[in-house]
Amino acid sequence: MANHKPFFALKPDRGMLIALLVFILLPFVIGLFDGASPAQVWMNGSGQSKFIQGLAIEIFILALYALSYDLIFGFTGLLSFGHSMFFAVGAYLTGILLKNFGFSLAATFGMIFVASILQALLFGMVLPRVKGITFALVTLGMASVFHVLVLSTELGKFTGSDVGLQGVVVPDFISPATERLRLYFITLTILVVVFMLYKRFVNSTTGRVCTAIRENEGRALMLGYNTFYFKLAALMLSSLTAALAGMMHSIYQPIVSPNVAGLGFTVTALLIILIGGVGTLNGAIIGAVAYRLLDYGLRRYIGESASFINGAVYVLIVLFLPFGIVGTWRMKSLQINQGWKRLLGMFTNSQDKSDGA
Amino acid sequence: MDSEIIFETINLCKEFGGLVAVDNVNIKVRKNTFHAIIGPNGAGKTTFFNLLSGNIEPTSGKVIYKGRDITHQPVYRTIHFGVGRSFQISNIFPNLTVFENVRLASQALGADNFKFWRSASAFKQYEERTWVVLKRVGLQERANVFARMLPHGDQRKLELGMILAPDPEVLLLDEPTAGMASEQVPELIALIQEIQKAGDKTVMLVEHNMNVVMSVSDQITVMHQGAVLAEGTPAQIAANKDVQTAYLGGLYHLNL
Repeated sequence: MANHKPFFALKPDRGMLIALLVFILLPFVIGLFDGASPAQVWMNGSGQSKFIQGLAIEIFILALYALSYDLIFGFTGLLSFGHSMFFAVGAYLTGILLKNFGFSLAATFGMIFVASILQALLFGMVLPRVKGITFALVTLGMASVFHVLVLSTELGKFTGSDVGLQGVVVPDFISPATERLRLYFITLTILVVVFMLYKRFVNSTTGRVCTAIRENEGRALMLGYNTFYFKLAALMLSSLTAALAGMMHSIYQPIVSPNVAGLGFTVTALLIILIGGVGTLNGAIIGAVAYRLLDYGLRRYIGESASFINGAVYVLIVLFLPFGIVGTWRMKSLQINQGWKRLLGMFTNSQDKSDGA
Repeated sequence: MDSEIIFETINLCKEFGGLVAVDNVNIKVRKNTFHAIIGPNGAGKTTFFNLLSGNIEPTSGKVIYKGRDITHQPVYRTIHFGVGRSFQISNIFPNLTVFENVRLASQALGADNFKFWRSASAFKQYEERTWVVLKRVGLQERANVFARMLPHGDQRKLELGMILAPDPEVLLLDEPTAGMASEQVPELIALIQEIQKAGDKTVMLVEHNMNVVMSVSDQITVMHQGAVLAEGTPAQIAANKDVQTAYLGGLYHLNL
């Protein structure tokens, strides 16, 4: 049949393509404002552009992390309060393997791959037994154990306990100090690839069943799906992505703070997708941009009371955009679309039968 | 009508705490028949269906399907055996489209559930099956509507479509017409009858509408307080004194 589309044939997403273009040009444009030519930016000259690149790398890492949370919470309906553990395992493992054991970057990635599958299995172990809020609490418990381990003085030799993990030896070619632009584009590439993979996953037969599980797990079971394996698949992909985000975090940041293992960082993921729109994927990226810029802007111009205003803004977003930026946008454009169709129908006298989607 | 027995229960019991919801039920369902289960509210009909479809485990007793003991099989196996079950209260995926609801039902028995690197729309066989089913239940024009937006009657049709999609041999229909406008009922019942005849299917039906039950059934089992009160052809049931009492004592009148 002619309809067998190749792997890369995704629905063109104009908004995301524009965002990609913006991010590709961003370092050079910022450089121009700063009086640095694109060539100077290319040579990793210091200045405003380098700082913005750093901020953008943080956004990409947050976006990766939020995407991974959107997959299990927004698409599969698994409320996990232990998601920060997925990220922190990636971050700490990278730091420790590079620093204490002299692993190469590829070997480190291999270990992270294995570790992320294992931790997905660990979360998966409790899946058949606990549902909903109980799952949230059990995962919170698991992540808390990991947080305590990270903070413990016994393991301080590796983790740096409450000071954080410092002195990670990053290979020169992606050093955030001297090769930041390269790191910027590598992180951006990872984000784009993961995003496309996620788009494909949620539209695949597997992803559709995940959505069905979110909607009505009992019915998905009655339809003949052993929902456990679908939830496990989503958990594995999510865990791998979060660990990859953690790895990039460890490479970029001079210090891995133990806070990334705490509940607060799980809430960060939840906040980002609430801002962007739960179950939209695009929302994870837009939410990450909004979250980081808001946080940065408020801290810079308001200072210490920033977190108070931060909180107020989140409350306002939930009140006025209950489906997040992307979710609300999609609903509005749907309604406007329907309005046009109805208007057209008045003149052409044809009935629009497909109201709804 | 001496066809083989497809579904059978042996001394099936289910207790909820002290309440005996299903009390020692022995039932034999013959292949390619229309078997109705009736009884007043609280007679244990839905619980009995839940036991058959594996939604709950019995306290004791066995469920035999085609000579095989399926009592303790997990619920997601049921449809793989060839038993489809619909629910009294519409049990659908509210925020997915009508099409996607049925497509998911069509996809379930295939071998493509874990091909996450390919778009679901690349598997045309499930989409084609979905269109066939949607046409069958008369929802093809509502395919792109979110299931939650459907009026109740259409949700009942969707519910039926979702169990027709995998083409099961046995249909367990728990009040398929519940809450439907009365003028829609004959249409749906005719459809179910047609499906049963055309596809050599076995239908088990829980239904309160006595006119429907009497006209379509080959065999009727009357349940009362968890136990089987009577069993027989529509004519035998209509003449049965115990059944008359059970119904007249309850809320229903047997208009025969």
